[in-house]
Amino acid sequence: MQITRREFIKLTGTAALAAVIAGCDWETDPDFALRLEKAREVTTICPYCSCGCGAICYVEGGKLVSVSGDPEHPINEGALCSKGASLLNLNTVYNYRSHAPELNPNRLTKVLYRAPHSTQWEERDWQWALERIAQRVKETRDATFEREAGGVAVNRTTAIAHLGSAALDNEENYLLAKLMRSLGVVNLDHQARL
Amino acid sequence: MANIVLIDTRKCMACRGCQVACKDWNQLPAGVTKFRGTYTNPLTLQPHTWTHLVFTETDQGRWLFAKYACMHCTDAACVEVCPLGAVRRLKNGTVWHDADKCAGCGLCVEQCPFNVPRINKFTRVMGKCTGCAERTMNGLQPACVATCPSGALEYGERKELLAKARARVEELQEQGFDQACLYGETEMGGLGRVYILTRPPAEYGLPENPQPAASAWFWRAAKGPLRKLASLTLVSGAMFSLLRWRAERIQGKRGDQKAV
Repeated sequence: MQITRREFIKLTGTAALAAVIAGCDWETDPDFALRLEKAREVTTICPYCSCGCGAICYVEGGKLVSVSGDPEHPINEGALCSKGASLLNLNTVYNYRSHAPELNPNRLTKVLYRAPHSTQWEERDWQWALERIAQRVKETRDATFEREAGGVAVNRTTAIAHLGSAALDNEENYLLAKLMRSLGVVNLDHQARL
Repeated sequence: MANIVLIDTRKCMACRGCQVACKDWNQLPAGVTKFRGTYTNPLTLQPHTWTHLVFTETDQGRWLFAKYACMHCTDAACVEVCPLGAVRRLKNGTVWHDADKCAGCGLCVEQCPFNVPRINKFTRVMGKCTGCAERTMNGLQPACVATCPSGALEYGERKELLAKARARVEELQEQGFDQACLYGETEMGGLGRVYILTRPPAEYGLPENPQPAASAWFWRAAKGPLRKLASLTLVSGAMFSLLRWRAERIQGKRGDQKAV
């Protein structure tokens, strides 16, 4: 087979093109969209220990979709420990088989009441529960209130204690302290003191 | 440009924040676990547990902690063997797998020298650390790095972090950790997860001199040079026959003209 000059150029050109095509890395990275792009950010405080780490809740369409550490919070600067990192699971858990998110079935959403000496929990409404608490506080306070101790005016009750939560903010803590002092509660403490 | 995660085991306090943050970000379910005499829980990686913390108690009564997950090897065996191209290496060095493409054949499971990939028997999809590609491609750190409270994990450019790591190893050696070393600098072409260790790697449960399984050479050839050779032959053959056909057609036309 005789090859002319023209054919030779054609052949070498084709071979070179083929080599380029075969040698090229055509793969490009796929597009990754961040699933939190449309979510609204709401800041909160981790409810677990007394450190009071800041966290961001990502909310989309009224539903909690993710929780992560708040990088702008002075205490944790974006970090969260294993308990804090699991905050989302208070609300949402993932199905073991389908990996689909579902509301945490173990979460309490109603007031449960167990009467003295009873072994059963009963469902009650909030109105009943709040009234009952107020009633018991009043009874206890009236029964144990001390006006004087050792010749000194004390105006206190030692039968009631109050423990604040690390998830409460400054203003809520202020109001709680005011309320408790007005009742005469002296056993007033806070988890963050631990 | 490849990015890595630097794991300073000396700074790790084993809070397992990374383990939970991984599940949280990747929306993985929890599993029922059991105490088996070690704090490492679950005992191995699972289809829905892509990272876990390995606890080792030494003879001196000291604890060694190492976060274990996919190493994102430069010469990753799983990328080479995957027949569907579901596992691939992204430009930022992440060995990412496309769950939509995966058929759960398990070839990657056999090849991985770190025993990382797991097949979910319900969905028939391989599960392993995706390097939080969704986050890193959008300018965020991987979830485990972002949550680490003690600063044991760091994400960044390979060269920079390696320089930092070498300095840290020297610092540890000066502090009296004679056996302080770096793991992942050269293994499997360089790992995407580099460890700063105070003891030899084997004590942390990390394989010394990891190698892909023996059959990897076949897949490497089949998917590398052989595939290129095949495509080259195909393309050049097609071009050649096209040119032949065209030449014959022109000749035929000329013949017709002559006949007229």
